[in-house]
Order: sequence, then C-alpha cells, then structure tokens
Amino acid sequence: MLRKTFLPAIFLLLAYGFTVSADFKTITAGVAIFLFGMLALEEGFKTFTAGGLEKMLRAATNKLWKSMTFGVLTTTVMQSSSLVSVITISFLSAGLLELTSGIGIIFGANLGTTTGAWLVAGFGLKVNLSAYAMPMLVFGIVLVFQQTKSLKGAGYVLAGLGFLLLGIQYMKEGFDSVGQTIDLAEYAMTGYPGVLAFAGIGIAATVIMQSSHATLILILAALASQQISYENALALAIGSNVGTTITAIIASLGSSTDGKRLAVAHLIFNTVTGLLAIGGIYQLMAAVEWLSRHIGIAGDNYTLQLAVFHSLFNLLGIVVMLPLMSVLVKFLKKAIVAEEIEIERPIYLSGGPGDIRDAAVEAVRKESIRLYDLAAGVIVDGLSINRDVLESEEKVKRVVKKSTDVIDEDIDDLYERKLKALYGSIVEYVINSRGGYSDGRLKEELNRLRQAGQHVIEAVKGVKHLRKNLNRFMRSDNRFTMKEYNRLRRLIITVLRKIEATRMSASESKSALSLDHLKLEIEEKTREFGKGLDDLIRKECIDVQTATSLMNDISYCRETCWDLVEAGSVLFSAADLDETVAMRTITLSEDEIAEMMENPNGEAAR
Amino acid sequence: MKAEKMLAKLKDILSAERQAQLEKYASLKKVLNALRDEKKKLEKELASETDEAAQHEIASRLKVISKQRKKGLKVLHELKEERKRPNKKNP
Repeated sequence: MLRKTFLPAIFLLLAYGFTVSADFKTITAGVAIFLFGMLALEEGFKTFTAGGLEKMLRAATNKLWKSMTFGVLTTTVMQSSSLVSVITISFLSAGLLELTSGIGIIFGANLGTTTGAWLVAGFGLKVNLSAYAMPMLVFGIVLVFQQTKSLKGAGYVLAGLGFLLLGIQYMKEGFDSVGQTIDLAEYAMTGYPGVLAFAGIGIAATVIMQSSHATLILILAALASQQISYENALALAIGSNVGTTITAIIASLGSSTDGKRLAVAHLIFNTVTGLLAIGGIYQLMAAVEWLSRHIGIAGDNYTLQLAVFHSLFNLLGIVVMLPLMSVLVKFLKKAIVAEEIEIERPIYLSGGPGDIRDAAVEAVRKESIRLYDLAAGVIVDGLSINRDVLESEEKVKRVVKKSTDVIDEDIDDLYERKLKALYGSIVEYVINSRGGYSDGRLKEELNRLRQAGQHVIEAVKGVKHLRKNLNRFMRSDNRFTMKEYNRLRRLIITVLRKIEATRMSASESKSALSLDHLKLEIEEKTREFGKGLDDLIRKECIDVQTATSLMNDISYCRETCWDLVEAGSVLFSAADLDETVAMRTITLSEDEIAEMMENPNGEAAR
Repeated sequence: MKAEKMLAKLKDILSAERQAQLEKYASLKKVLNALRDEKKKLEKELASETDEAAQHEIASRLKVISKQRKKGLKVLHELKEERKRPNKKNP
C-alpha cells in the first residue's frame, strides 16, 4: 500500500511545488541533473571496473589499513560512497573479498565521501560551475557516441561530472533566489529537538534521492545562501550520513549472505557514527571551531566548517568502531546466518563406502538411477515440455507440437543444486569405495556407474546449450525454424521414452543390447536433420545464421541422445554381472554404428 | 601322461583365471542365444507386418542384432581359441 502511494505522492508534491515556486523548480531540477550526473558517472566507472578494479581490489585489500585507504581513495575519485559500497557488495558476493576487507572499504568510503563537501564548499560555491560544466558535457557526449568501449566510458565519466557541476549550479542559483523572496531560516530550530528533527529530514531526503552527496550539496547550497542555520545544517549532514546506507541495503537484497552482512555493517557503522555525532554535536562544533581557526578557515565560513564537521564525525566513527571490528564481524556472522542452499542429497549412499561390497555397487546404481530420473525431468523442462510426457502414451509428435510456450525453469540452478551436487556425492562415494575392492569386476562396475553419471550430466549440459536458441526461436515467427527445433525436441523425447521402455522390460536379459538400435535411430535422424537443413537454406526458408545455430543444436541434440543411451545401457541392465559384462563386449560402438550407416546392406544376418 | 604334466593340467583347470574364462564364455553364449531367439521372433514379425514404418523398424532391429551377433561370435571364437592354449602361468 505504502509502496503504491509513495511515488504518486512524491509526484503530486513536486507538481504542487512547481506551481507555487519557480525557485523550487530550479532547485529540484538541479537535484535531478545532479542525480543524472551520478548515474552517468556510475555507467562510466562500470566500463573500467570490469577487469581493472578487480585486480586492484585483490591487491589493495589484503590488510585492513589497505582496504580502508582503498575505500577513501576510490570514493574520493568516484565521488560516490554508494557506488563504492554497491561495488564492494557485488565483489563480496562474488567471493573476491573477505567480510573484514569489505567493512574496511566501507569505513574508508565514509571518510572518502567527505571530500565532496570539501570540494563543493571550498571551490564549487565560489565559482560559476556551469562554465566548467558545459565543455565537459559537450566533450563527454561526443565521446559517449564513440564505438570504443574505453572512450565511451570516459565520455560517461566526463558527461557525468558535467551534469554534477551543472546540478550544483542550479541548486545554488535556486537557493540564492529563494533567499531574496522568503527566509527559510525562520524555520530554524535550536537545541536537541532541532538536531533530531533535522537529522530525520536528512535521513528522509537521502533515502528519497539515494545519494548523500546530493543531500550534502543541497545543504551546502542552502547554507551558503543562509537559508538554513549552521546548527541545523550539521544535523542534516548527520542524517544524510545515516540515510545513505539505504542504497547498500537495497543492493544487498539480492546479494549473498556476506553482502547482506556488509550492508548491515554499513548501517551499524553509520548509525553509531550518527548517534555519536548527535550526542556530542556541541563538543564537535567546538572542535570544528578550534580546528578551523588553526587551519585558517574564517569563523563565518560555515560551508567549509560543515566540511570539517563532516570529516571529523566520520573520523570519530572510525576511531570508535575500528577496535570493535572483530566484535562486529562476530556479531554479523551470528546474526545473519548463511542460508543453506537446498541441494540434492544422496539417499542410497548413506551406509558408508564399501561396507558390503555388492551392496555398495547396488547403492551407487540406485543413486545413479535417481540422478538419471532427476536429469530426465530437467531435460524435459529444458525442452519446454510438460514432464508428464515421459509417462503419457500420447504421440510424441503431438505433445511437442502442443508445447509452444517456453517453460521458464531455471535450468542452471537445477543443474547446480540437484544434478551436480548429487553426481558429486556419487563420485566421492565411488572414489572412497574403489580402493578396498579386490574383485576387479566390482571395481570396473563402479567405474562404469560413475561414467554413466558423467553421461547423464553431459546430456543435461547439451540441453542447456540447445535451450538458448530453442527459447529464442520458440518466440519467433519463423515456422520453418520452429519445425526443425520441434524435430530435435521430438528425437530427445523419443530417446527418453524408449530408454524408459527398456527400463520397464528390464526383466529380459538382453534389454541393454536393445538400446543399440536406438543409437542407429539417433544417427539416422540427425543425418536426416542435416540434409533437411541444406534444403531449407537452398529454398531460402531460413537464413544462414539460423542454419548455423541449428547445425550446432543438431550436434548438441545428437550428443545428448548418445549420452542418454550410454547412461541407460549401464543403468538399466537387469542381467547379472557376468551377463552384463558379456553384453558389453558385443554392444555396438559409435564407429560400428557409423559403419552400419555407410554400408546399410552389408550385414548378412547370422 | 606323466604325473607332473597331469598335475599341471589339473592346476590349469582349477585356476581362477581359467574359471573366469569359462564363466565369460558361458555368459556370452547365453546372451548370443537370447539374441538368436530374438532374431527369429523379429523375422516372423517382419513376415506378417504390413505397415511400412513398422517394417522399417523391425528390419533395422534385425540389422543391429546381426551386427551384435557377428561381433559376439567373433569374441566367442577368440575365447574358444584361448581355452585351447595352455595357461601361461602353468606351462
């Protein structure tokens, strides 16, 4: 409800503001331009962060002081603590950083962000920024239109800086005009109620604008035109420092556990710093006054004094929180527990490897069959066909033709969590069992089962590749292409069904051998697909690019089918071990099948 | 036959390798027989089948079985030859 009404309410408020005051329009346009500049700056930095920053990050964050310095420097250069914290969260999620290093960067970023106030207070408010902004914008936009990635990135950075300066100029002009008509300073509040109220406003403004930098520039511009009191400006700065954590919190929602921990660390650090600053605001003001006198800042230069205050209270936060770093990390690890990923666990391999040898082989077989069944489901999903197809007796052609909608199942996730995890357990069990076997045949059987598992995994990988183009073409209008992809889908489903039929008739000792016929069928069909493709290109029914995709996918389809058959012939043989070994000696290889294809009438029946 | 030679022959017959060889031979023979039966069954089916697609399916099944049997008979022959040779470990 709140989420639904928030945006319209903001729009209404802004629209009302625009009709009431032209200056309000100028100020908000300044904020908008400033934020747009931030976006452009982020876009530009993203171009350079792809490889370079990663390397730099690894080298620069192996010690706490290094990560803090890194945080200060990167935030100073990028002029956005939010951007640095979001990048840090993404690196932490990718496992490129330790949590302690991440927190170090955040501490540093809090100090680095204060340079923005120094730059604007010391330089930005005294000169006509638009004079610098305009050439930056022009050069920047020209560069943005370049093809080279680095030039494009540089263009975004330059244009971003241009927009930032232009935004600041608009905000400054807006507040100057406001000062000539009304006196906002009349609303100034003194004492702790004022500090708390303005700190709250600072938080709210930063949450809305998602940029403490923008809030701070707004505060400086208002302070320079004496629209707000110095004391209230300090409280706003404290609030903006707390509010800025919202960006990191939002970014952490989709991140890993460590990413979430970092966002909470950011919130804790900034809240503690904010509370310290609020509690000791008058002592800090006295310290700022003393410090300003000693570094040559005039007593009435409140904007620069605000910059000093901003740096000082962030420094105070670091001094207080740094010794508590290990406590903070411990607390975060305890409070935010890593979510256990739901992975597929073995159910037949629980007895410990090699307890009873024959039983161990049987356990691996059963677990491998489970792996096959799970994979068959994933493969059918990957082909965007309902899983019922494996049990139903409806004609494959009809089922495939009916299945026109893409099934948006996350195949990669299923592969990682279910199949890879289960196959990993099987491999581990086989490796641990094998050593204790003196019977060579059992050892060999375990190896074969492991290979069968590998074939299952490869089959799923093949469908993962095939699925990319399949999904694309399922959404396209080219009926010729779709017809070809339907043939591929049909072949894989047919293979799965025939293996299933073999499995059901496994009481017949020769069942594994009957799959050789399926190998011949796969070769015949895929060869037919290839020939059909040549005709389609010749008749211009499909373009060459599509044909290339199809050629690759025919190959993936063939490999998938072969992998399934190879796995099925090992897994679904009900004969005893001696007979199974005998059958394997006469099972036809890929070369022998190819030979049969080349010489269709060459075999004299014996 | 000298006693020493007879003893060597007995050792050969009782050796594990020899036993495995015999088992392998028997299993393969069993599988080949099953394939022969299957082949006969399919040939009968082919003779009575009128549907062209089904005929093609049966014919290709028969082709595969023939190839498998040919391969199997070759292995069986090799095993037979091997059995005739004296065990290397017990010359």
